[in-house]
Amino acid sequence: MTRHLALALLMGFAAPAAGRAQAAQNATLRRAQQAYDNLEYRQVVSLAQAALRERLTGPERARTYELLGFTYGALDSILKAVDAFKQVVLIDPERQLDPNRVSPKAYSAFDVALRQVLLVRQLRIDSTSFVGGRGAVPIRFTVTQPARVVTRAIGGGSYVIDSGAWNGQVNLSWPVRLANGDPVPAGNYTVVVEARLGQNAFSASQPIRVSHGSVDTLPSLTSLPGYQYLPETEVPPQSWRPLGLAFLYTGGALVGTLGLESSSLGSSSKRELAVVGGAALVTGFVMTLRKPAPRPAAANILYNRLLRDQIARRNQDIAKENVARRQQVQVGVVPLPKPSGAAPR
Amino acid sequence: MSRAAAGVALLILASPAAPAQGGVTVTVGPQFALASYREVAAGLRYQGTGFGGALSARYRRLSAEAGVVRVTLDPATGSAATSGFTATEVDAWVAYDLAPYASVEAGLIRRTADPEFDAQSVGAVRIGARSFYEIGPGATVLFRANYLAAPKFSGGGHAGFSIDLGLGLDVRLAGRLHGTAGYTFQRISRKTNPGGTGEIDAPMQGTVARLGVGVAF
Repeated sequence: MTRHLALALLMGFAAPAAGRAQAAQNATLRRAQQAYDNLEYRQVVSLAQAALRERLTGPERARTYELLGFTYGALDSILKAVDAFKQVVLIDPERQLDPNRVSPKAYSAFDVALRQVLLVRQLRIDSTSFVGGRGAVPIRFTVTQPARVVTRAIGGGSYVIDSGAWNGQVNLSWPVRLANGDPVPAGNYTVVVEARLGQNAFSASQPIRVSHGSVDTLPSLTSLPGYQYLPETEVPPQSWRPLGLAFLYTGGALVGTLGLESSSLGSSSKRELAVVGGAALVTGFVMTLRKPAPRPAAANILYNRLLRDQIARRNQDIAKENVARRQQVQVGVVPLPKPSGAAPR
Repeated sequence: MSRAAAGVALLILASPAAPAQGGVTVTVGPQFALASYREVAAGLRYQGTGFGGALSARYRRLSAEAGVVRVTLDPATGSAATSGFTATEVDAWVAYDLAPYASVEAGLIRRTADPEFDAQSVGAVRIGARSFYEIGPGATVLFRANYLAAPKFSGGGHAGFSIDLGLGLDVRLAGRLHGTAGYTFQRISRKTNPGGTGEIDAPMQGTVARLGVGVAF
């Protein structure tokens, strides 16, 4: 247990050193890095300059200049620091310094260096999907000096996205359309941003894939959210109305009979009226006790009719929209991994 | 065979009623009748029973009814009549609903007596209105008033005032089976001039109660 813990601790301390050794293969650069870590700035300068005279990879060269920049910053040689950082950003235009982790002197020197070199940095194209003609691809980049900037998409053809004078953060929208309004053909493209200032020029690129698909059609509605059909019949509350109506109709017959009897013929037999009237009254009484019959609810019927009309109208609109959508193209744009970084010219 | 026929009949009666909307609903069935009849004077009165049948049909706002009843009328207790007779009455109406509870109607009535001269036979045109109301699920009450226009009598004469009042009840008992009841009061102020001796009153007054069942199709 103790041995395992000790081994783990040893590996933890050794890891940064191993990583640094992997990052810098050049021995002189490693020694310069070590001297920088030991705050031996004079030695850093001599070792770094020696390393630059050797065969270095791009990242090693950028790291060497960066060490020089930090060292000159520490030695208050700001102009030299700026020159060193210029070399850094020319080799690696995407290089960023964390203001919380580097000295203010080094950071300001890096910032000045960025403004003295024409660069196109941080070219970003987001994945997006939209109906052709109803959206655009957002393209963002930063130009470090005022320059004439031409943005193109190069693939099956060359399409100029934008051409203008820009400086600083630039946000463009590319509708991915041809001059005639049709969407740009599907395929792989490279968005190239080329900045030119006098004799200086710089370009950055980002490969993308443009795909075409069919536009989703809308489903027909069967109901409207928040609105529900209401029952078209309602059961009225129980009442004495059936018996009352039976009394009214039977009473009408009785009054009519009594009133219309011929005086010369005398009072007619009430046996027949008693039988039928009694049946009507009994029926009325039974119906009074029974649950009333459902009756049409006029307001609900009207409401349901309005709701049906509304849904039908919405479905007509959806049908028209779907006809239009079937003639449209869903354009998808996806950024692809960069085969290589920006290329200073 | 009779059991099978009874089973089929029961099945028809118990099956759900046909929907009234959009189609023709027909109800037909037999009836038992109670009747009383008076003519000319208070002493000439009859009572009796009989059988008949009724048919009704409805199509949207139009409806039609027809009924026939044959009643054997015997002199009532204390009547001056010495013999009875058999009355056969045919009634028919065609009605049009003006409102969900009222309609106008027209029709005819024809009542004949057998033996022919034991009572007046009468025929007339009905013109009137009726009111009906559904007092509960499948239960409807009806009140009608008809003027009997242009009455004709087997013994001659005329009537200045003739009216027919009715009370009706229709209850759906089960499925297609309906129970029906109807009451009719009829008053005809007949006047006649026998032998040219001068016009005398010879009124007629009758009541009929009909109880029956019907099957709706």
